[in-house]
Amino acid sequence: MNYWKELVKGIWSRNPQLVIGLAFCPTLAVSTSMSNALWMTLAATFVLVCSNLIISSIRKIVPGHLRIPIFITIIATFVTVVDLLLNAYQPDVYQSLGIFIPLIVVNCIILGRAEEFAQKNGVFVSVLDGIGMGIGFGLTLTVLAAVREVLGANTLFGYTLINGMEPATVMIMAPGAFFILALMLWAMNVINSRSKRK
Amino acid sequence: MMRDIVKPTVVLTAIALVCALLLSHVQKLTAPAILKRTKEKQVQALTLVLPGFTMGGEQKVLVDGVEFTWWEGEKKVDEKTVYMTASKTVKGYAFITKKPGYSGDIESMVGVDENGKITGLTVISQTETPGLGARCVEVANRKTMWDLFRSGKPAKDFGDEARIPWFQKQFEGLDAKVKIGVLKLGVWNPGMRGSLIEKNAISAITGATITSSAVIAGIEAGMARLVKARSMQTSAAAGGAR
Repeated sequence: MNYWKELVKGIWSRNPQLVIGLAFCPTLAVSTSMSNALWMTLAATFVLVCSNLIISSIRKIVPGHLRIPIFITIIATFVTVVDLLLNAYQPDVYQSLGIFIPLIVVNCIILGRAEEFAQKNGVFVSVLDGIGMGIGFGLTLTVLAAVREVLGANTLFGYTLINGMEPATVMIMAPGAFFILALMLWAMNVINSRSKRK
Repeated sequence: MMRDIVKPTVVLTAIALVCALLLSHVQKLTAPAILKRTKEKQVQALTLVLPGFTMGGEQKVLVDGVEFTWWEGEKKVDEKTVYMTASKTVKGYAFITKKPGYSGDIESMVGVDENGKITGLTVISQTETPGLGARCVEVANRKTMWDLFRSGKPAKDFGDEARIPWFQKQFEGLDAKVKIGVLKLGVWNPGMRGSLIEKNAISAITGATITSSAVIAGIEAGMARLVKARSMQTSAAAGGAR
């Protein structure tokens, strides 16, 4: 098994949002600012890596027909851990991410990787898969958030970019997220189909 | 057959046990920090419901077997008469109260002055349906689509209406000693204030009258407990003096 390939596949060739087409809900909802996007990435990657680790290490004792409730229990446990930690030590982040922290439980990437990868593969490679997928998810999220924050709020990480410029607020609202995500999907497809033709 | 039942049961129980153990430890670890945060929020809520008052310490008493948390505050007010301006001290009280709404308890903090007039109300925690009951913490959005495309700022300045959710704002000035009515007039706006205060009523959240009534029931229960808590305090003070 090629470890390097398993690590980097999440970034481009199997990017969770742009190629597999999962987790559009958190991507659209949380990409309003860079800090939101980065904290969401950290939280989701933590849950993803931990759940991949546990699920791959207990995969031999999990009865097949009971795997979904067991996976969900494990994922929900780690999400609750993240929820409590953020509430205690990062209250501002907790406030601004709000309902989207508990909703990591139903983030399709995490259950998807558990089903598709962790329950069939070893512990080490599952952790690599989790890290790679987390980075891929985070990259899409932060690129989207950077564009939206710059155009929609004229700030980056909360700092004003050009004094006195009126931002295009529509970019920070839901329609802006759809516009940029569509452009990103289009760019991804163009690049991939060109490299395939060669 | 036995294997099909026993093994899954054991595995599922073991996983649930480990998860519960982990969570209880994390909960214990984070509880002090979360408690501190809740306290800070409480202080903010106090300045919101009793604006301009200097607050005394938090007081906890058992009223009717339920723990009741309340505060006493003071404020200097200038009284102008024809001849002179006298300064006098008025008292205000804040308390925390909760009543079940549509899905779980709605906890709110209420500030009242000496005469039982509500000086402010803020919902501290609620788990109502988003889009319906949860609108009790919604800030009225008076932006138009045109504002949004032009600059994102509304054409008019709405003052602190933009800060305090409209549902909570409408309680200011109502009399908490008598029954507060619920009318179905749609989203509250400052123009309704006069007539609603006259009727001592609020405008319910559309489609969530249960939520609106629960907040009012909370005020009633809280006021009754406040009266009891204050009489307990005065009798205790008299006992101490004796």
